[in-house]
Amino acid sequence: MDKDKTFYIVICVALFIMTLTMIIPILNIVAISFSSPEKLSEVTGLTVLPKGFSIINYKVLLSNPKILKSLFNAVFITVVATTINLLLTSIAAYVLTRPKLKGKRIFMGIMILVMVMEPGIVPEYLVMKQIGLIGSYWSVILYKAVNVYYLIILMRFFEDVPQSLVEAAEVDGVGHITILFKIFLPLAKPAMATIGLFYAVFHWNEYFRASIYLDQAQWPLQVILRQFVVLNDTTSLVGANSLLTYNEAAQLNYDALQAGTIVIAIVPILMLYPLILKYYTKGTMEGGVKG
Amino acid sequence: MSEIKVTQKKVFFKKLKWDKHYWKNNWILYLLLLPTLIFFATFHIMPILKMRLAFEDFRIIGANEWVGLKYFKMLFASPAFLSVLKNTAIISTMKLVLLMPVPILLSLILNELKTGKYRKYVQSVIYLPHFLSWVVIAGIWISLLSFNGGVNQMMGFFNMPSIDYMTSKTHIRWILLFSEMWRSAGWDSIIYIAALMKINPALYEAARIDGATKLQQIKFITLPELIPTIITVFILNLGFFMSAGFDQVFNLMNDSVISVIDILDTYVYRIGLVGGQYSFSIAASLFKGVIGIVLIFSTHYVAKRISGKGLW
Repeated sequence: MDKDKTFYIVICVALFIMTLTMIIPILNIVAISFSSPEKLSEVTGLTVLPKGFSIINYKVLLSNPKILKSLFNAVFITVVATTINLLLTSIAAYVLTRPKLKGKRIFMGIMILVMVMEPGIVPEYLVMKQIGLIGSYWSVILYKAVNVYYLIILMRFFEDVPQSLVEAAEVDGVGHITILFKIFLPLAKPAMATIGLFYAVFHWNEYFRASIYLDQAQWPLQVILRQFVVLNDTTSLVGANSLLTYNEAAQLNYDALQAGTIVIAIVPILMLYPLILKYYTKGTMEGGVKG
Repeated sequence: MSEIKVTQKKVFFKKLKWDKHYWKNNWILYLLLLPTLIFFATFHIMPILKMRLAFEDFRIIGANEWVGLKYFKMLFASPAFLSVLKNTAIISTMKLVLLMPVPILLSLILNELKTGKYRKYVQSVIYLPHFLSWVVIAGIWISLLSFNGGVNQMMGFFNMPSIDYMTSKTHIRWILLFSEMWRSAGWDSIIYIAALMKINPALYEAARIDGATKLQQIKFITLPELIPTIITVFILNLGFFMSAGFDQVFNLMNDSVISVIDILDTYVYRIGLVGGQYSFSIAASLFKGVIGIVLIFSTHYVAKRISGKGLW
């Protein structure tokens, strides 16, 4: 009995240390971004609470038109793209789960084939150029308009909708579109929420295609973040203006500004995360589907 | 055989054509599906068709010229490509061998944890990194591994010298391994946890009555039940063998370490999009795609031969 208890405690401690390796680096970035500039030298890599408190970094970052614009771009792309994703995916899932649909196997075959074959970035870029979407928001909004994995997940939910409901509606002479929006979508709310959240996270985190297809003024936050934090391109981001305005009041510190930008990029994810836990993890635990 | 197929086809077309009632009621379904089909045609099928450029010389004006296997021959004569191929294989093998057991182990440990607040806390934390972009994770890790970062401070605590990890050729591949583990181990354990929850508790009950120890229970009940899931994950991972994680490498790469972590996808991006050598880079992508498909199918058949269970 005692041996089991020791074993249990060892497990708990090991898992706790594991969670610390994830929490501490994130809190550390938050702490750096909120510390007051004169106390920044006291902040170590293991600090989890800000030394002193100052929002100067956020003032500098959010007064920068480039960052504001990129935040706007990111929100715009995420909202529009996710809406289109949900609309197209739910419509396709509805059509493909109609028991009487002819040609279903052909459609599914095309989609599975498309899922397995990855042409790579160069042919994709050439097509984008050919259809004239380079330099347009539509390039990043449309290029992943329907994700086959999510489509299949949604189809499984739609298959569970009782056929009697649909037949009753059909007898009343209700059309397909009304049946989809009035019967299926309300019943499949958790599934729609799940794939909606996944689409949203995907678009918020997208940086690669955006940096290729979009003009600089259209770049979302992740591209700017990459320039600033990964490529260490500080000059273009912190303009001369903010240097003049803020440098007298406090020493500007690039590490702290980078930390602030990372925090801005994480906040929306942290806001969606409880919802993801609520809908997805629950669904997976019951259904055993991996996304 | 073929006659049957022909008649099947005839019947199929007959059904499509003659069922006036069906079409009157259901044409709208096809209209509804049309945007999705156009999307697939534009963003998936057109790029796949574009891959024929691997066999052609690209011309800005006029038709492209068919050159056969010229670019594939160039590819295999190129030392840069071979070195990239080697890096891809090394990084993928490291991830496959060393990272695959981690989520399995994690799910076994989590399974021992009683359901309650603590388990909820652990699960909520370990899934989180999966939702951060590689740009963000690279930002966090670069700061963590910098000369004055957390890791070096901890090393200093044990009187170890500071190392600039991100530019160290000996460390960078291990950084790829650990950052991948940091991001995905928790999330990847979900599929195993789901499989563990389906095991009949009566099996453990019976084993306990027979006096089996915890380790014996894991060895004789849990692991055999997990094997189909493990095989599925293994085959799928092998399908990504040639990818080796583009976003990760792309964001953790710098000039000092490019020679040891430049992988196929980063190479294709640099040569193709930055360098403008379309045919050459598409030839590399095509090679990658073919190997990926071969790997998936061959492991599927081997797994099916050995264990009776494959991907489908």
